[in-house]
Amino acid sequence: MNPVARIALVVAYAVLALAALGRSSYQISTKLSEAPVPYLVSGVSALLYLAIAVALWRRWAGVALVGTALELLGVLVVGTLGYVESSWWPDETVWTGYGSAYGWAPLLLPAIALALLLRERRARRDDAGVTPAQEGTA
Amino acid sequence: MELYTGVIHPLVLVVSALLALTGIATLLWAPAHRALKVLVPVTYAAVAVHTVAVAALLFTGLDADLILTLGYVIASVALLALLGIGRLGTPEAASADPDPNRPVLTQVQITRVDGAAAVIVAVALAVVAWRVLVILVGAA
Repeated sequence: MNPVARIALVVAYAVLALAALGRSSYQISTKLSEAPVPYLVSGVSALLYLAIAVALWRRWAGVALVGTALELLGVLVVGTLGYVESSWWPDETVWTGYGSAYGWAPLLLPAIALALLLRERRARRDDAGVTPAQEGTA
Repeated sequence: MELYTGVIHPLVLVVSALLALTGIATLLWAPAHRALKVLVPVTYAAVAVHTVAVAALLFTGLDADLILTLGYVIASVALLALLGIGRLGTPEAASADPDPNRPVLTQVQITRVDGAAAVIVAVALAVVAWRVLVILVGAA
C-alpha cells in the first residue's frame, strides 16, 4: 500500500478510535443500564478502530483485513437494524445510521481500507507468482 | 461566556479552516508544507486558549456536564499529536525503530502525509469545538 495512504488511514482510524473511545467510555461508565447494547457496540467499535490503526501502522495485513471487514459488517448490520428494528436501539451507537453522526466515515473508511488492503494482497500474490488456484491446491 | 462564543470558538473554527485549507494545498503543492509548519504551532496555541477558556467557564460556576466537556477538551489536545505525523516516517526516525515494517517516507511523501493529517485533524477539531459549544450554550 502506498505509505501516504497507509498513514492517512492510520490517522483517520486514530481519530475515530479517539472519538469512539471517548463516547463509549462515557456512556458505559455513566449510563450503561439505560441502553446496554448500543453502548457496548460503541465500545466494541472503539476497540476495533484502535486495533485497525495499530495493525495498519505495524503492517499486520491479516489483522487489518479482518478488522476492516468486521467493521464494515458491523456498520452495515447495525445501520440496517437501526432502521428495521429501531426498538432494539434506545440510543445511538457509532454505527447508527451507517455512521451518519460521524460524516459516514465509519462506512467509507473500511470500504477504502479494504479496497487498498485487498489490492496490496493481490499485488503481493502477483509478485510471488502464485495464483489463487495454485495457492488453494498447495 | 460572551468571550467564548464571540471570540474563542470562532478563533478555533478559523484556525481549523486554515489548517484544512493549508493541508489540501500541501497535498496538491508540496512547497505549501512550509505554511503548514507555521500553522501547526498556531493550532497548538488556539487549542490551548480554547482549553483554558473552557476550564475557566467550567470552574467558575457554569453548570455543564464536567466529564463530557473535559472529555471533548482532552480529545482536542490529543488530536494535536497527529499533526506533523510525517516526522515518524523520516529515515532517521525509522532507523531508531527495530520494526522492519515501519514506513520510511521520502520528503514528498512526508509533506503529503502531513497535509492529509492536517485535513483530518482540522475537521475533528472543528467538530469537537462545535460539540463543546453546544454543551456550554445548553448549560448557560
